[in-house]
Amino acid sequence: MSNVAKRQTSTLDKALRIALYIALLAMAAVYLAPFLVMLLTSLKDVEEIRSGTLLSLPGSLNFDAWSKAWSGACTGSQCEGMAPYFFNSFQIVIPAVAISTLLGALNGYVISHWKFKGSDVFFAALLVGCFIPFQVILLPMARTLGWLGIANTTTGLVMVHVIYGVAFTTLFFRNFYQSIPAELVKAARLDGAGFFTIFYRIILPVSTPIIVVTVIWQFTQIWNDFLFGVAFSGFDTQPVTVALNNLVNTSFGGKEYNVDMAAAIIAALPTLVVYILAGKYFVRGLTAGAVKG
Amino acid sequence: MASLTIDNVKKRYGQTEILKGINISIEAGEFLILVGPSGCGKSTLMNSIAGLEDVSEGRILIGDNDVTYASPKDRDIAMVFQSYALYPNMTVAENISFGLEMRKVPKEERDAEVQRVADMLQIGHLLKRKPAQLSGGQRQRVAMGRALARRPKMYLFDEPLSNLDAKLRVEMRTEIKKLHQKLGTTIVYVTHDQIEAMTLADRIAVMKDGEVQQLGTPQEIYDNPTNLFVAGFMGSPAMNFVPAKVVEQNGTYALELQASKPTVVPFPKPDSLKAYAGKEILLGLRPEMITEPQPHKEGAEFVVTADIDVEVTEPMGADTMVLTRISEAEVNCRCNPAYPVKANETVAMMFDTSKAVAFDKDSGQRIDN
Repeated sequence: MSNVAKRQTSTLDKALRIALYIALLAMAAVYLAPFLVMLLTSLKDVEEIRSGTLLSLPGSLNFDAWSKAWSGACTGSQCEGMAPYFFNSFQIVIPAVAISTLLGALNGYVISHWKFKGSDVFFAALLVGCFIPFQVILLPMARTLGWLGIANTTTGLVMVHVIYGVAFTTLFFRNFYQSIPAELVKAARLDGAGFFTIFYRIILPVSTPIIVVTVIWQFTQIWNDFLFGVAFSGFDTQPVTVALNNLVNTSFGGKEYNVDMAAAIIAALPTLVVYILAGKYFVRGLTAGAVKG
Repeated sequence: MASLTIDNVKKRYGQTEILKGINISIEAGEFLILVGPSGCGKSTLMNSIAGLEDVSEGRILIGDNDVTYASPKDRDIAMVFQSYALYPNMTVAENISFGLEMRKVPKEERDAEVQRVADMLQIGHLLKRKPAQLSGGQRQRVAMGRALARRPKMYLFDEPLSNLDAKLRVEMRTEIKKLHQKLGTTIVYVTHDQIEAMTLADRIAVMKDGEVQQLGTPQEIYDNPTNLFVAGFMGSPAMNFVPAKVVEQNGTYALELQASKPTVVPFPKPDSLKAYAGKEILLGLRPEMITEPQPHKEGAEFVVTADIDVEVTEPMGADTMVLTRISEAEVNCRCNPAYPVKANETVAMMFDTSKAVAFDKDSGQRIDN
């Protein structure tokens, strides 16, 4: 009897499991469809695009559009493809992510373990920073950059991203460090360690999960940023997002959808890679503080 | 090793006063326990001694040095925390030697010191592990090892045993006592467990609401509490407080209780009751002073035998606790388990008031001091 009952539940389990997989696959398909269309289109030539449907397969693997997007397509009056802007973006993103993450870690460390008079107000003020829309700071920031003499430079863009990102990174680190017991810092102080020694030797080594989260978040935000990029970059410091826009909007004769699609995928590739490489740490890091006190 | 003097220390957060003028001084090598309910200020006082919190007023001296405004690392103090606070990213050996490293002790000396401490606490086999791989008791040992390695002038223990299970707690308690006897160091130890306080301390400071209620040896605190709070806090089960009427009898003063029948018991210092003649006071009587009738005490000076109405009996193996009601107050008596006592019966009990104390009913202060 019990055997039969067990077998029945296991068939039911199996059916439910299959249903679950079908549902998940359907969802995945919905999410992946646009990417698939982009990928397929980028591999066709212009003639095929015109004659075929969105989802029809390319007749042959044709990477011409990719090489054109990378190094030959025109973005405005320049015709050097995405490559120079791709590296521009890295020049902006790497220092901006590094500096904002480090500052966020230091801020979070101070706000959670070296409370001073008004530190809670300071934290609240920083939180407000998370809710300020990009557009609001465009004009004042332009004035500031001009006044500092770094308008239209990579340095200027890095600074804008650092300032805008610090509110978020501080919030991340502060919430994470809140779960590190205060006694740990007290013990280190009694052991004779100072402010930076404690940060470097005790706090940073346990911060890996939140560093991963912050780096992914900041990398994605800054890489994908368009508004600051278009407003504050110079002619030769434009990030890849701005270049993509220019590329798509520049047309001589017919629209080259295959090149547009290839360029768009190139522009999105780094964030995609970051998510694939560090995605599991991202989820782990987000929940780390919540589960363990 | 150093003595510790806490001189009129006050601590305020805005308007609220957490410490209201603490005066404690102990000799070098003494084991001082700060005990009291949560929120009494004992942890704040401990943090002030460590330098982790500033005091608003007063002075703290370690040995002859005024350290009131010294930073924690300059006070030469080591602390063991309730949560152990081991550095999670370091091995046990690194945890123990971190303080030495910060003080720029050469590598060889550090290694030797780690070895010495590890041998003393029998944690040699754990040196390469991370704290996460240790059990609670092992972490406790490592935390103590970290404190011992620096050979500081003074040790602070902040409720070090309260995260351990009951059995381990008793073991570690003995171990801390042994360690103190062996090293002879000055220790300040915070706990809310009055048994820990009684068993470990050379001197106990009982605290409440930011004030030291009494500072004395464990026996002094047990036998001679200065007020109702101290009397009720120390001892398990707690001291019985029985409302009693002061009566004049044969030219001296005695106390009348309402046991099964009205009973008059003598009091060791009858003259102190004079001012309360005809009024009610609270008689403080430890449970072990109300027992089954013991022949060898029969006829002694402060011994009276009277009937009580038994409410509940609680056999504990070594003793049987008998709960009764005297003058409307619940009273615990400690009996020999062989004495036949049953609930809802009336039995004879022997009241020994030679160590009884008396408190003012309203202020809770001792009358007979």
